[in-house]
Order: sequence, then C-alpha cells, then structure tokens
Amino acid sequence: MFAKVLIANRGEIALRIMRACRELQIKTVAVYSEADADSLHVQYADESVCIGSPELSSSYLNISRIISAAEITNADAIHPGYGLLAENAHFAEICEACQLQFIGPSAENIRLMGDKATARKLAMETGVPVVEGSHWIISAKEEALEFASQIGYPLMIKATAGGGGKGMRVVHSPEDFLQSFATAGSEAQAAFGNPGLYLERYIENPRHVEFQILGDRSGNLIHLGERDCSIQRRHQKLIEESPSLGLRQRLRERMGKAAVAVAKAGNYSNLGTVEFLLDSEGNFSFLEMNTRIQVEHPVTEMVTGIDLVKEQIRLAAGEPLRFKQEEIELRGHSIECRINAEDPERFIPSPGRITEFRLPGGPGVRVDTHCYPGYDISPYYDSLIAKVIVQGEDRREAIARARRAMEEFVIEGIKTTIPFHQRVLMSPDFVKGRVNTGFLERLNANPASKARN
Amino acid sequence: MAKEKPKTLGMREIKEILDLLKDTDVEEIELEKDNLKIRIKIKKRGPAPVWISRSATPLLPELLGEKAPVSSLPAKEGDVAGNLVTVKSPMVGTFYRAPLPGAEPFVKEGDVVEKGKILCIIEAMKLMNEIESEVSGRIHSILVENVQPVEYGQPLFLMEPL
Repeated sequence: MFAKVLIANRGEIALRIMRACRELQIKTVAVYSEADADSLHVQYADESVCIGSPELSSSYLNISRIISAAEITNADAIHPGYGLLAENAHFAEICEACQLQFIGPSAENIRLMGDKATARKLAMETGVPVVEGSHWIISAKEEALEFASQIGYPLMIKATAGGGGKGMRVVHSPEDFLQSFATAGSEAQAAFGNPGLYLERYIENPRHVEFQILGDRSGNLIHLGERDCSIQRRHQKLIEESPSLGLRQRLRERMGKAAVAVAKAGNYSNLGTVEFLLDSEGNFSFLEMNTRIQVEHPVTEMVTGIDLVKEQIRLAAGEPLRFKQEEIELRGHSIECRINAEDPERFIPSPGRITEFRLPGGPGVRVDTHCYPGYDISPYYDSLIAKVIVQGEDRREAIARARRAMEEFVIEGIKTTIPFHQRVLMSPDFVKGRVNTGFLERLNANPASKARN
Repeated sequence: MAKEKPKTLGMREIKEILDLLKDTDVEEIELEKDNLKIRIKIKKRGPAPVWISRSATPLLPELLGEKAPVSSLPAKEGDVAGNLVTVKSPMVGTFYRAPLPGAEPFVKEGDVVEKGKILCIIEAMKLMNEIESEVSGRIHSILVENVQPVEYGQPLFLMEPL
C-alpha cells in the first residue's frame, strides 16, 4: 500500500480522496494555486505545495510542477481526481516514467477510451450496440454530408476529443449541416486541440444511463450497477440517481454485461464508467467510456455500500478485486443534487464570499463539499460548491430526504442552484419518474412550476 | 450595586484572542483569570524553515515564463518589506546554493549583484534551472537552506535594490 499520495486536484474531490487516504492511513499531499491557499483541501492534507498562479496552465494543469511537487515530498502515487489531468494519457505516462503510481487505469486505457471514435469501434467489435453513426473520424465535408444523409436527421456532430458535454451540436436538417460541420471543427480545435469529428444519430430524449466498472490488474472486471444521469442542462449533469427507473433486473444484467465486455475488450483496469443511451423502448446503445472517478460516484457508494475511492487506491496498489459480481447488490435508492454557485434560474456563475454555510443532516443525508463559512468562491474554477447525496429505502423516501436536505441547507452570500433542485424535486414528472434528457426543457416550458424562493 | 456576573473564558473568547494575535507580531501571551490560566504561543512566519507554507501569498505579478530545458530563469519578485525586494521561486523543486556540491555558493549575504546574475539553482525533474536576479542590488538575506525543497512563490532571497 502507498505511504504517501499526492492529489493532483482541488475542491470537493481533492477532499474526498484525502478522506479515503486518511482511512487507509496514507499520508496526503495537496497541491494548490495561489487562489486556493485558503482552500479546505490544503488545510486537510498532511503536506501542501503551492504550484502556481491561479491560471490552470500555471497550476493544476502544469504537469512538471505537479511531478516536482511529488518528487520533493517523496509521494508514491498520484490521484488525478476528475477533470483536469484525470484523462490525460500523457500525464499518466509521465507518472509511470517517474515511478509514481497513477491511481487510475493505464495510459493506454486512457488513450484508447478517450478517443470517442475508437471507443465506439471497440464497442461495436465487442457486439455491444452503438448509437448509429460514423465509427471513424470524418474530415472531408462531402463525405460527412453523404454519411449524414445515410444516418438521417436529426443527428449529432461530436468532437472525438470532447467530453463533459462539450464539443457536440445537433443538426436538424440537411441545409444546416455543412455550416455546423465547419463550425464544430474549429470549436473542437480551439477547445481540445483536436478537430476530429464524428457523426451520430440523435436519439430524442433518451435516458442517460451509465454503469460503474471496477477491475484489477489480473483482468477481473465487475460492474456496480447503474446511475441515471438524465437530468442535464446543456449536457452538464445536475441530478443523478441509482438505480435507474428505466431498468428492470433483466435489462440491468444485459447492460451490465455489455459494459463489462467493453471494458474487458479494452484490457481495462481500475475504475471507469461506461455510458449508454436508453430509448423509451428499452433499447440501449454505447455512448462512451470515462476513464476516471466521476463526480456522481457517491450515488453508487450509497446503494452498494462500497467506498469507490478506497477501492481505486487498493487496485492501484496492485491488490486483487475484493468483490465478485454475485456479491454486488443495489439496496435502496440514492439521489445526488449538484449545488452550484449559480443563479438558480439562468445558471449564471455567482462567485463571491460565502457568509453562512449550514449543512443539512439527519438520516440518509451526505454532503461532499470543500466550502465553509467565510470561504471565497473564486472565479477561476468551476462553480460546484457541494454535492448533496441522499439515500432512502426506496425512491419515495429518497425524494423526501432530498427535499428535506434542500430545505435545511443554508448558503448565504452567493446565489446557488438550491431553488432549482427544489423545483425539480417537487415536479410531478420527477416524482413519477418520467425522467429523460428532455426533462429540463419540459420543466421550463411548464409555467406552473415556478421556482420557490 | 448589582454583582457583575464574572466573565468566563470560553472557546469563543479564546478564538477571538487567537484571531487578534494572528495579525500582530505577538508570539506568546499568558492570561490569568480567576482559576483559569492559559498560555498561548503562536509560531510566527519566519524565514521558511520548512517548505510547507500555508500562508496566502498575494497575487504576484505575472511570471516572465519558464524556459525549458535550457534553464536560466528569471526569479519572481513581489512583496516589498521596507525597501527590500523578495525574490520568490518561479517553480517547484529543490534549492541549491552552489553550482555543484562543495563548490562556492553563487551568492552570499552582503554580495552586490548585477541584474541577470545567477542566484541559485532549482532542480526539478532532474533538470537544473539557474535562477537569475531580476534586479541589481545587495543580497540582504538568504531565506532557504541548501538542498531545501521549495514551492512556487516561496521567498528565497531578500534583496536591497541599488
């Protein structure tokens, strides 16, 4: 087991990882930019190293400074968290070269699965249904237009290097195609440094269902059930739950098997997530695979009782997988609400100082946050302030607990999306489980559901 | 005259005292009240004896940029204490006072140096980076020790510009 782990991240996930390390009696090293000097993850860690000015390129994306910090603290391993360098194969390689264990899959896994077009191809070869589309990158616009007419409209143009909801656009008719195609390419180049695009059939209002994968170095791979992440705004997830109402046990088993098959085909190890789209008729298709711990991992932790970050660390230390597929059971129901420092109606970021911060509590309520009274939400980084995760014996109780938690949570000094979550939790569609990616649009179109103040 | 209720020294009061002390030069304070006697000693930020620094450094002027791998780096500046200029580390690594073990240090306290003079080496990822002075002046103090790990923004030297 590692003696010391450096966490190459910030905010709530840095704290989450450090908590797992503390329970495993592993020393922690925090790295931070000058903007994060008062951050909770810096205070919590056993040691901390300032690595740069607030800009990501100077700090959290600065590979050489992060590696140097690991060297001067004699860390054995680096946990990249999510976002930032978590899915940067180059970073994983450098860690390997510097004899620092990267806590996650191999650089090869990241490279293979990180290329969306290649991952789709792998899924197809495994016999897993894939959203109809081009399984390769299309550069020539004539070829693209031709293929687009084969797939049919509406369709999606997606960046192969994209992720987190970025680098995708919907095209509704052939007249708009060439223009969208050209723009998407330049956007992809600017955002990801890779202009590669592929095309995909656009499924109207599917459910977004993802499966948590866990695997050791000997090739033992299992899934830990699914998460339904259909409630999204501009492809950014806002509310997640497990299990998904869209799955009965048989479909769960089929999808779980498919997820494991894709991971196996890619020789995957450690933690990962396979994403699917599920249509209203129970047909599922592979969307992409994420090779990192995800923001919404706590939902799976609640229903399985398994600490995913600790398992990640154990697997990275070379330990064998501690569970068999038959042992995995989803019990009860869990819901996570992502609270952002944003206006609850227009979602405009609202940085500033938190003056009051009182967490909800009681049975079945968990809060993952790096914030505290007096903390300044800086404009440099993302607006996630807290994740409120509830668990109940069934979905009804989970919803009741989520509503209670939203009422109890007091955050003052900045605007937050708590009122938005309250609106969703009260909406009849949500309560009835009529949840898919079109949910928010329908909610906003309904004048009856006004935000509670 | 009504009897005054004796004020007790609880956690809140102690926290208030700590907050007040934080912004002063006071290092040690002893209080005695009724049967309660407390002594508070605060370790003040001196020349960084360990590289672990939790103090918030103010946002510094833009770095002139790291050049790699041929490594002559301009040092960072900022923070004027009196007329002294603090030379801060532009990177994360290990600080060396001399070009080689056993060799003469690049600079000593009291030395007068020209802008561009190499003050020290910071090693990072097996690369030696020479840190150059951005000002001409006298070396007032050297704040770190040989082979000490340093972080970004860590004060290395105090210089008196001339």
